[in-house]
Amino acid sequence: MENAMPVTESPAKIDIIEWDALYQTVSQELLSRYNYPCMIDDEIKHGLFPPSAFLSEGDTRLKVLKYDNSFAALRLWNFLLSEEDRLWEARRGGKKIFGVMKDLGTASIIPYAVKNSVGFYPDGAWWTPCIMELSAGLLDIADKMGVKEDCCPVRATLGAFVDGKRFPVPDLCIGAVGTCCDDYSAIMQRIEALGNKFIWWELPLNKYRNKPENDRQLRKLVDFVADELRAVAKAVGEVAGEEITESKLHKTIQKANNVRRIIRRIRDLAYGVSPAPIPALETLICEMVVIHFCSDIDDADPVLGGMLAQAERRAGLGWGIASEDAIKIFWVNPVADLKMMNMIEDAGARVAGSEYLISHAFNIIDENKPPFEALAEAVLADPMIGPSEDRAGMIIKEIQRYGAEGVVISQIPGASHCAYETNLIKNIIKDKLGLPTLEITAPSICDGREAGFSTRFEALCEMINERKR
Amino acid sequence: MITCGIDIGSRTSKIVLYDSSTGKSLASLIEDSTYNQKELAGSILDKALENCGLKQADVACTIATGYGRNLVETADETVTEITCHARGARTVFPEASAIIDIGGQDSKIIFVNGDGLVRDFMINDRCAAGTGRFLEVAARIFGVELDQMGEVSKNPDQQVDISGMCVVFAESEIIGLISKGVSRSSILNAVERSITKRLLSMAGRGKFGQQVVFTGGVAMNSGMVRTLQQEIDRELLIPPIPQITGALGAAIIAFEKSRKNK
Repeated sequence: MENAMPVTESPAKIDIIEWDALYQTVSQELLSRYNYPCMIDDEIKHGLFPPSAFLSEGDTRLKVLKYDNSFAALRLWNFLLSEEDRLWEARRGGKKIFGVMKDLGTASIIPYAVKNSVGFYPDGAWWTPCIMELSAGLLDIADKMGVKEDCCPVRATLGAFVDGKRFPVPDLCIGAVGTCCDDYSAIMQRIEALGNKFIWWELPLNKYRNKPENDRQLRKLVDFVADELRAVAKAVGEVAGEEITESKLHKTIQKANNVRRIIRRIRDLAYGVSPAPIPALETLICEMVVIHFCSDIDDADPVLGGMLAQAERRAGLGWGIASEDAIKIFWVNPVADLKMMNMIEDAGARVAGSEYLISHAFNIIDENKPPFEALAEAVLADPMIGPSEDRAGMIIKEIQRYGAEGVVISQIPGASHCAYETNLIKNIIKDKLGLPTLEITAPSICDGREAGFSTRFEALCEMINERKR
Repeated sequence: MITCGIDIGSRTSKIVLYDSSTGKSLASLIEDSTYNQKELAGSILDKALENCGLKQADVACTIATGYGRNLVETADETVTEITCHARGARTVFPEASAIIDIGGQDSKIIFVNGDGLVRDFMINDRCAAGTGRFLEVAARIFGVELDQMGEVSKNPDQQVDISGMCVVFAESEIIGLISKGVSRSSILNAVERSITKRLLSMAGRGKFGQQVVFTGGVAMNSGMVRTLQQEIDRELLIPPIPQITGALGAAIIAFEKSRKNK
């Protein structure tokens, strides 16, 4: 396992300059095995690059992040940061490109059932204002189109479609609507109005989870969603010029499950083992890769496999990136500013469990059921499409599973679901578990408020430490 | 044993030298915060030591707190203002169940349990409309000294409301009310109620308990004390020098750490 080979022996978080120095120690033979694109001096080069190489693509936020110092993490970052370039290469190579939007993890499997197709997640553009420190102007474009900051920062996706520089215009967008956040539903409709081709499918409200007495209603929902996904598959097949058969889909589900098995194991190690074998930031990225395979389902497997091997090796040796007594924090909702993941660790904590609205993407899809039915069941496990009490219940189970001692609920400014459910979730956690729960609202760039966030994180840790004493 | 607590706030910086043999503060100082907080931390420490005839070597441990806590070079450790305010308030009022701290640029509500441990906290550092900054703006508009505002706002002749979500809009509302002929007393009263409303909305369903301590510079404003008392329906406990509560807590934590390490 080449990815299990650490660049250095002891795990640490290092900055971009330290990575440059460390990179020099990696053998050329090893580096030459990789082929990730990166724009350097206005020219696409291929290989495996230190994070600093991506600064020339405008990803300036990389300068302030701290990274895991493993070779596996280096590959993970290359996989992540090269995605846009890989999409452009896919377009030039004649591949069909599908923009899978909103469902976060299930519909993205479908395009991979046909050859020469790539599924990606345009919603991921919500990280661009952070990674490029607002220089891409995506939020400004959305502002000018009347989608202003009272809307979720995922409005950057609208900016990305208008801008046309981030990713190629998809041959087809697959948009999930219904019981999804209304901000994004509105944004997708604006994107369609720009002339982008869409197939819409409905995410229904699932209020029948975990209630055996409602099996019949749940069955109806499964049938409904399976039909919706059949329509999606038909549309994808038409664009790709290749029919998606159940057999092809079944094989793709098996591939997706392989990736899901890896992330499940990574999460168990990253969240459950002390000291934490890999940092919160890289764990977050591993989780996000799973929802759309970072535009390459075949490479997602070894990339995450490398991280898993690294985590297993460190866990076996008792090595970690935080101290053994770091406070175990469960994190709810993803943050736009990736630096927050570093900051929580700097405050003396580690992330021990997460619900980034994508937990359903970690479930193993039933390979013994007809594929559309199995996918429909996977869709219906989405934490966002049921009552908030259900989501709180899922969070509580995960908190107990990983033994978290405190909770951070990170609100996304302007995101309607946060406004509706944050207090509810906070109160349920407090009532049922009595855990200290901190609520924050994290902007795309937190620099101006960094001191305030650090104070909150440190105060949460102090509070938990005092209780322990 | 002498220990030191330094609280570098966004508006003022405070220092307390604590003598564990008497359980009292030996000296305390409050100075306006400056751009060079590192230098300020050193200079207030020197002044406080000089006032007591002590040298730096006499201080067993120093804890820094507040916004600029990481800039205090003489500090042995840093502790957040949440923990320090709770400890300071509980030192003055041992039965304190909640602490309301309104500073120049932020406000906090801290709930403590029966053992004196922080059980929850909220900080508002985004909206100046819930902080002392709003009082300063209003005082400037009316040419009233901050410590006189409570007297002026005591007897409003009518109830008006300020609904602005930020100080800038609220300032426009004040100008609008002035142009309508609303009295200074009524407007300042509205300002106090507006700050109170914004502050208490942070608490959500948090229960204040019976012993609520009011700290920070704004606790010296009688109008704010009056309005807060009305809203939470109980008398507020106010430390003799409310601004130094965090620094006092820091000095006491410094003593506890020193004792533990001996």
